[in-house]
Amino acid sequence: MNNHPRARTSHTLDVLLLFLLAMAAGLFFWRLQTRFDYDWNWTAVPQFLFRLDPEHGWTANVLVHGLLTTLRLSIWTTVLALGIGVAAGLAASSRSLFRRLIARTYVEAVRNLPPLVLVFIFYFFIYSVLAPLIGLDDAIRAMPAWLGNILAVVCDEPNRLPGFISGVITLSIYEGAYIAEIVRGGVESVDKGQWEAAASLGLPRSDQLRLVVLPQALKVIIPPLTGQFISTIKDSAIVSVISIPELTFQGLELMSATYLTFEVWITITLMYLVLTMGCAMLARKLERSLRWRF
Amino acid sequence: MHSRFRFLFVILIMGLLLMAGTAQAKDATHELRDASVISKAIERGTLRVGFSTFVPWAMNDKTGKFIGFEVDVMTKLAEDLGVKIEFVPTSWSGIIPALLSDKFDVIIGGMSVTTERNLKVNFTIPYDTTGMALVASKSMAKGFDSLADFNKEDVIIVARIGSTPATAAKAFFPKATLRLFDKETQCMQELLSGRVHAFVASAPLPAHSAVEHADKLFLPVEGTFTKEPVAFAVRKGDPDTLNVLNNWIRQKEAQGWLAERKHYWFETLDWASQLK
Repeated sequence: MNNHPRARTSHTLDVLLLFLLAMAAGLFFWRLQTRFDYDWNWTAVPQFLFRLDPEHGWTANVLVHGLLTTLRLSIWTTVLALGIGVAAGLAASSRSLFRRLIARTYVEAVRNLPPLVLVFIFYFFIYSVLAPLIGLDDAIRAMPAWLGNILAVVCDEPNRLPGFISGVITLSIYEGAYIAEIVRGGVESVDKGQWEAAASLGLPRSDQLRLVVLPQALKVIIPPLTGQFISTIKDSAIVSVISIPELTFQGLELMSATYLTFEVWITITLMYLVLTMGCAMLARKLERSLRWRF
Repeated sequence: MHSRFRFLFVILIMGLLLMAGTAQAKDATHELRDASVISKAIERGTLRVGFSTFVPWAMNDKTGKFIGFEVDVMTKLAEDLGVKIEFVPTSWSGIIPALLSDKFDVIIGGMSVTTERNLKVNFTIPYDTTGMALVASKSMAKGFDSLADFNKEDVIIVARIGSTPATAAKAFFPKATLRLFDKETQCMQELLSGRVHAFVASAPLPAHSAVEHADKLFLPVEGTFTKEPVAFAVRKGDPDTLNVLNNWIRQKEAQGWLAERKHYWFETLDWASQLK
């Protein structure tokens, strides 16, 4: 990253800053120790990640299950939000006033609502009205066991699917609005001359977009889009309020049962950090490989 | 002749009306029965029970399995009904909306009967009684030894949001400041950090935590200061389900099963090693 020709080489300030940061961290833990005189019990935590089962050997426990649910939730949300976002983003940059109005209404409505409110409205009202209408819950109950097993791996246990589905849909609607803005910004960043040049070649509007404008827009779209995916992982914590057993919910339940408040919060924080930083590293790799291609 | 004919005619019409009426009434009862939560659960083969994590009512043990007093009650109920049990852990603040929007069939979650709640849901007869107790911080509430000591303007009390302890705290300590959290852990953390004076919760949690953190917490008053009936909650307009559940509770009470389970979870700590 540090390939700027005039990158600063003096490290005195950096060392000083690092020292101050270490001091602050030390002070924090010292205060924590004296102020709370908290009974740390870290030995109890690892068993909530993995435990030794007398029959099956080492198996994942609640926190790892929670992390996996967070991951599945984020992946499905990303796929669905990408669809919603690209459609809304293209509509927002289209020539039709009607499409632009629809897209803007969606984006503005969602961006100006707290996500927590969105989650509750969807779960308690919209889903409860829609699901019986299309027979979703009955279909989930009636599905064959093999399908249930597949869904348990890629989504969630069949009995928890209604919650999972409404979580994914709500998060997708929420993230989709941001992706729509990213896509719209990318498309509008492409110079008008490119549209005109493509039109003068006799390409229809859809081909102008697909062959000329979108490839150039992608360069602008990809970096903020990867950032949005990482946001999705973080935002997924919010569906813990509708009892989807993702990492935050599992952590809260665990704390209710064991009262290991700090240990569990710190463990969860580290698990989120590992996940999001891993994704950030992957995203940077992807960006670099894409830079070659365009 | 003419009048007799009219008389017969009236009888005939009345008979027809009566038959139609009973047929309709019969349909209505059938419909009610088929729509009842119990019939649906039996048809589905699973009883979905909503609850919230609440030591020692219902909690995850260290293998991730649910254990606790309520869990025993739910499991036994499902067993007696001949259906499988489906646990639906739900956060407390959303538990009644979740019941009303059919996320599960019944709440068995240590829910105290209150009139406000009763306007939203129907309660069975009580299967348990609980009471409010208070645990206080040694550093913040030094020298407090009566309930009146906590009813002062500079006192801060924590309780779980939407719970009967929160209502009780409001009623008993109107002058104090009430701070609410979604989980009891968060309340407990506030108390242990010495940011609040006292924590109001359902027995036996205050007594247990005073023993566990004897260096920081104490019980300013012994025992409980309210008595509250605890019951199952079901959606309104379902007399069949209420009847089945009420009679199940009566049986279990008469057999001494409820008292025995309650003793195990509330008066012993034999289960504590299953947690951490």
